[in-house]
Amino acid sequence: MSCETVRRDLSLFLYGELSLEEEQALQEHLEACPECAQARGAEEALHAALDRRGLEPSPELLAGCRRELGLLLKLASARERGWLARLREAFSGPVVAVWRRPAAAVALVALGFFVARWTSPARPGDTPAEGQIDRIRFVEPDASGGVRIAVEETRERIFTGRPDEDRIQRLLLAAARESEDPGLRAESVGILNARPELGGVRRALLEAVQHDSDSGVRLKALEGLKRFAAEPEVRDTLARVLLSDQNPGVRIQAIDLLTRQKRQEAIIGVLQALLNKEDNNYVRLRTERALQELNASIGTF
Amino acid sequence: MTVQPESAPVVAAVASAGLEEAALIRAAQNGDHAAFERLVRAYDRSVLRLALNLLRSPEDAHDVYQEAFLRVYKNLHLFRSDSNFHTWLYRIVTNVCVDYLRKRKIRREEPAVLETADGERDRLDVVPEGRAEGDPQRALLNRQLSARIQQSLQALTARERMVFELRHYQGLRLRAIGEALGTTEEAAKTCLFRATQKMRAALGDFV
Repeated sequence: MSCETVRRDLSLFLYGELSLEEEQALQEHLEACPECAQARGAEEALHAALDRRGLEPSPELLAGCRRELGLLLKLASARERGWLARLREAFSGPVVAVWRRPAAAVALVALGFFVARWTSPARPGDTPAEGQIDRIRFVEPDASGGVRIAVEETRERIFTGRPDEDRIQRLLLAAARESEDPGLRAESVGILNARPELGGVRRALLEAVQHDSDSGVRLKALEGLKRFAAEPEVRDTLARVLLSDQNPGVRIQAIDLLTRQKRQEAIIGVLQALLNKEDNNYVRLRTERALQELNASIGTF
Repeated sequence: MTVQPESAPVVAAVASAGLEEAALIRAAQNGDHAAFERLVRAYDRSVLRLALNLLRSPEDAHDVYQEAFLRVYKNLHLFRSDSNFHTWLYRIVTNVCVDYLRKRKIRREEPAVLETADGERDRLDVVPEGRAEGDPQRALLNRQLSARIQQSLQALTARERMVFELRHYQGLRLRAIGEALGTTEEAAKTCLFRATQKMRAALGDFV
């Protein structure tokens, strides 16, 4: 065995990772070669220096890790038994109604978000701010006299940018469609109104005007659609709103938008149908006036 | 083969431990939380030690511990009884650690020196090592050596560093390391060989 091979294999020799034959040959070489024996001494010193660097976890660190893991496992297990299992059962069967698929997708996205939040371990010293606490999941005394509290929390991140930036627009669209706060939806729709020419924005406004539960949001969305009231899709939507919306202010706004257009004769039938069922005096008055301006009869239907 | 008188109880204990572990795994796979906790307790100190030595940060080691055992919990149903649980567990742990090391490498390694109220201190000094350093001169040398070791570790690839830690500090055989990393014993040997060569080149004149 050459000196070069011995020097190369010394570390593996000290780790006991050479084959029996290699080890025997190396041992014999070391006994006969003082330089390589010295190199072995240096290698042993290196190993010893590395040994001294080894860290042992403190009992506090280990105990903290165990406590938090216990907590996370409880949460994971509770979720698996609870709504997660039900959600999986509901959407993973062989026959899934087509209408439920988008709902499942949305639910699973939300699920991914919440699971990520709940299973993110709190670092030592982390304290949730009061405003961030959505819900206390459970409180449990431990053997040492302390207490473990599982807190469901959300954290805020601030995004800044121009309303026409893609990521900002996506967030605005999400807020306009999904926020539970009508004020926030109205605010988002108000900002989106500045760019109604964008397809995604137009669709969001049309959805809001038909389906949002808050009349303030629906009115805001109507404002955004003003410039496009001549487009067939928008006109159809306005006609539906006019005949179905429960809020008189929304119906009046819809009348205004429809009667601004050049091809007003197309809406005569809609206005007459509205007049037939309208019980709000002011809306009736506005409808009658619109029909008169169109030289249409208000009593022949 | 002659069995030494004192070997019989040892063999029995090892066999019994193996059987007990298999029973614990089965119970944990069937949703027994106490069994899962006992499995965790059997291995978690060495998992935490590995993470602490690799990442040199108690906070990061804490995170790796949580993530690794949560993955074990979520994937335990996939564990097959004819496999070695220790190897399977270490495969998960090493994957989490390697991911962590790579992420950290991308976002920049932790500096070896920390600014503290007492001036600059080696990062390793702020982690309790359980060794009293009475001699100031020796303490200084140890700090310098620690910094050099840390620098040399940073020069290793994530895989080399993992193999080195598993062999040197965890005492795992190269064959087990190869299995844990999903590679061969020979590949693990090559990694260890490269790692020690780099360490020797960096520290040879210091020790």
